[in-house]
Amino acid sequence: MTTFVLRRVFWTIPVILLVILLTFLLMRQIEGNPFRKTERAVPEAIQRNLEEKYNLDEPWYVQYALYVKGVFTWDFGPSLVIRGRTVNDIIHQQFPASIELGLLAFMWAILLGVPAGILAAVRPNSVFDYSAMFFSNVGYALPSFFVATIAIYFFAVRWSLVPTSGWGDSWTFDSRKLLPSLTLGLLPMAYFARLVRGTMLETLQQDYVRTAKAKGLRWRRIVGLHVLRNSLIPVVTAAGPLLGYIITGSFVIELIFNVPGIGRYYVTAVEGRDYSVVMGLTVILSLIIVVANLIVDVLYGFLDPKTREAAA
Amino acid sequence: MDTIRRILLVCALVAVSVLVAAACGGGGGGDGDADGDGGGQPAAEQVIRINLGSEPPSLDPVLATDNISSFVLQQIMDPLVRLDQDSQPVAALAESWDVEGTTLTFHLRDDGQWTNGDPVTAEDFVYSWKRLLDPKAAAEYAYQFYGIVGAEEYNTCERNCDRLADRIGVEAVDERTLRVELISEQPWIVSQMTHQSFYPVHRATVEEFGDRWTEPENIVTSGPFTVIEWQHDQSMVLEKWDEFRAADEVDLTRVEMRMISDGVTALQAFEAGEVDACLDDACIPPQEIDRLKETEEFIVVPSLSTYYYGLNLKNVPDVNQRLALSFALDRTEIVEQVTKAGEIPATSMAPEGMPGWDVYHQEFLPTTADLEQAQAYLDQAQNPKTDLTLVYNNAPGHKEIATAVQSQWSEIGMNVEIKQQEWAQFLEFIGPPPNRQVDVFRLGWLGDYVDAFNFLELWRCDSGNNSTHYCDPEYDDLVDQARATPEDEERYELYRQMEEMLFGENGAHPIVPIYWYTTTTLRKTNVEGWEPNILAQYDLSRVTITE
Repeated sequence: MTTFVLRRVFWTIPVILLVILLTFLLMRQIEGNPFRKTERAVPEAIQRNLEEKYNLDEPWYVQYALYVKGVFTWDFGPSLVIRGRTVNDIIHQQFPASIELGLLAFMWAILLGVPAGILAAVRPNSVFDYSAMFFSNVGYALPSFFVATIAIYFFAVRWSLVPTSGWGDSWTFDSRKLLPSLTLGLLPMAYFARLVRGTMLETLQQDYVRTAKAKGLRWRRIVGLHVLRNSLIPVVTAAGPLLGYIITGSFVIELIFNVPGIGRYYVTAVEGRDYSVVMGLTVILSLIIVVANLIVDVLYGFLDPKTREAAA
Repeated sequence: MDTIRRILLVCALVAVSVLVAAACGGGGGGDGDADGDGGGQPAAEQVIRINLGSEPPSLDPVLATDNISSFVLQQIMDPLVRLDQDSQPVAALAESWDVEGTTLTFHLRDDGQWTNGDPVTAEDFVYSWKRLLDPKAAAEYAYQFYGIVGAEEYNTCERNCDRLADRIGVEAVDERTLRVELISEQPWIVSQMTHQSFYPVHRATVEEFGDRWTEPENIVTSGPFTVIEWQHDQSMVLEKWDEFRAADEVDLTRVEMRMISDGVTALQAFEAGEVDACLDDACIPPQEIDRLKETEEFIVVPSLSTYYYGLNLKNVPDVNQRLALSFALDRTEIVEQVTKAGEIPATSMAPEGMPGWDVYHQEFLPTTADLEQAQAYLDQAQNPKTDLTLVYNNAPGHKEIATAVQSQWSEIGMNVEIKQQEWAQFLEFIGPPPNRQVDVFRLGWLGDYVDAFNFLELWRCDSGNNSTHYCDPEYDDLVDQARATPEDEERYELYRQMEEMLFGENGAHPIVPIYWYTTTTLRKTNVEGWEPNILAQYDLSRVTITE
C-alpha cells in the first residue's frame, strides 16, 4: 500500500510540470497585453518598464524556467493586473472560501443524495422512489445559475429568510452559506441519488443477499452492512473527480452569490491576460484533482480488497 | 452552450422581473422628494451600504487605474483640488493656486493632516509624484504627468535615473507651497489634477510597509473617511474620520461596501434592501434597464465619454463613402431603441457638457438617418467598398449596436459582416498600427479630465489611440497650438477648427461618432447627494441619509 501511494505521489510531479508547460504555451499563444486594460494605449516606455518589472522581456524558456523554480519554492509571483497583490496572496485569501463551498456542497450531496438513493432502491416504484427520481432529474436538468437566480429571488428577496449573497468568515456558521452550497450541491446530489439507487438495486439481486436473507439475518442488517458497503464503491469512484470538479468548477455559483472564492479570479485572469495568476491557479487546481484521485484510489483499497491486492 | 445559457438566463430574468413587478405593485413609491436637496430630515443613523461591483484592485494611487479603486481613493484621500458639480476644479487641500505662464503654484491649507497626526505638506506631493514617475514603479498612469518638465525623461530613463529625478519640475518651496513647472501652458492641468494619480501618499508608511502599506492595519490616509476593514472580495468598511479638516460638513459616519459582481444578484440585493446605492451600473443588468429607468431610484447623468466607430482610411479611402456611412447611421434610433440609458446622439468628438461646447460643436452630421443625402454621397464615391468588416469586443451591448448599424447601413447597399472579439485580443487586433482586415471598429473614449483637448489629441498622426490611418500635419499643428493656448475662447476656436477638420462639410470623417455616454446608477430615495459628476466621481462627504 505504501509503495502504491508513494508511486502515485511521485507521478504527480511530471503531471504538474506538463500542466505548467501547456498552460504557459497556451497563454502565450493568445494575443493580448496584460498591461492594457482599457482603450487607452500604454505608452511604449511604460510598457517597457512593466515588461522589465515582470521579466516579460526575457526569452520564453527563461520565463518558463523562472516560473518552474517559483512553483517548486511555492512562490507564484506577483499578479500582473491586480498590482500590489501576489498570486500567493490570492490563493491564501480566496482559496479557503472555494474549498469550504466545495466541501459544503459535497456534504449536502452525500447527506441528502445518498439516503435518497438508498430509500428509493429499498422501496422501488413507490411514491418515494418516483419523487426522489423526479427531483434528481430536475437537479440534473436545470443549470446551476438558473437555480441560483430563482433561489435568491424566493429565499432572499421574497421571503427574506437569508441574505441574497455574501459569505462571511471561513469555517464558521453563516446563513449566507446555505444557498450557494445547496445550489452547487444539487447536481452531485442528483448524481449520487441515481447512482446509489442503480447499484443498490443491482446488489439486492445478488446471491449473497438471498443467502443472508435465507440464513435469517435481519433485513436492516443486510441492507445496512452488506448491500450498502458493496453499493458504495462506484460512489467513491465518482466522488473523487466530482469533489475536484465542484471545488474547481464553482465559478458561476461564486459569481452569482458573491462568494470570495478563487473561481472568478480564474476567469478574470484569463480575460485580463494575467499570466501569473492563470498559471498559479492552474497548478493549484490540477494539484487538487490529482490529490482527490489519489485519495479515491486509497479509499478504494479499503472498500474492496481485490484492488488492494492487485495494487500490491 | 453559451446560447442555451443565455436563453435560460433571459427566461429566469423575465420570470423574476414579472414576480418582482407583481410584488412591488401595491407598494407605492417614496415621498417624492428623492432628488431634491434638503427634502427629508437627516436620519439618526448615518450609515450607507454600497455595492462596488468588484474588489478595488489597489488603493495605491500609483497602481490604481480603474473606477472602483478611484471611487474608494476619492473618499479616503485629500486631493489638491476637487471637481465640483459644474465640472470646475475647486479648492480642496490647496486653498488657492496661481498660474504664471508655465509655472503653477499651489498654496496648501495649514490644517490638512494624515490620520497619524502628521501634517500634509508640499514635500508629500513631491515625494508621491516622483514615486509614481519612477520607472521601477511602472505606473500605467505616469503619462498624466508628462506635461510637467522632466517627467517623461525620468519615467522613460534607462540609466542615471536618480539625476533625472532631481530635474523634475516639482518643488516644495516651503512646507505649504508647491511649485510645478510645465512644458507648455496646458490650461486644463489643474482640472487634470483631480485624478487619483495626483493624490499624495504618506512617505513613512510607504517606506515602512512597502507593497503592504494599503492594508487596513497599515494604511495612513488624509481624507474624510478612513479604511477600517477590508475582507478581500467581500467587503470593505470606511468610517468617518473625526479629525478631518472639514469633518463638520460630513454627515455619514460609516460606509459599508460590498463587491457583488453579478448584476442580477446585485439588483436583488438592492431590491431586498441590503444595499442602499450602487457604483455606476453595478446593480443594473442591461436587460433590466427598461424597468429600472422608470423607478425613482434610478439616476442618469451625462458622462464625458464618446462611443464611436473608427474607419480604416486605407480600406475606405473615399471620404464620400465615409460621409455616406455617417449619414446613413440613425444615432437616435440607437440610443432610444438599443442602449436606452439616456445617451445623447453624438455629432462631434468632444461630448456635450464640456466647456466651450457651444463654440466647437459641429451640427453637420444628422442625428437621425438621412438616407437620401447618404446615397448622394455614395454615388459620388469612387469604387466604394461595399463589403465591410465591422469588429467589436464582446462586452454587453456592443453586439446589439453592431447589428443595428449593420441593418442601417444595408439601406445604402452596404454588406456588413460583424465580428466579435474578446477585449484583450480586440485591443491588439485593431492596432495601432491599423489592421488591414478591419474596415470599421468600435471604441469609446472616457475623458481623463474636463477639456476637449483630451478627446481631440487622439487624432494626431503619432497618437497611440489612432487606429484609423488619419494623419494630417495641419491637424497636428492645431493640437500643438491648443496645448500652448491658455485663453479659453482662443483655444475653443482651435477646437472648433479641429472638429471641423474631422466632422465638418469638408472634413475627413475618420470616425463615425455615435453617442455620448451617460453614467447610470441606483440609490434608495433616502440617499441624498449620491449623484456623480461628469467624470463619474462620487463624493461621499456630501451624502446624507434622510428619514
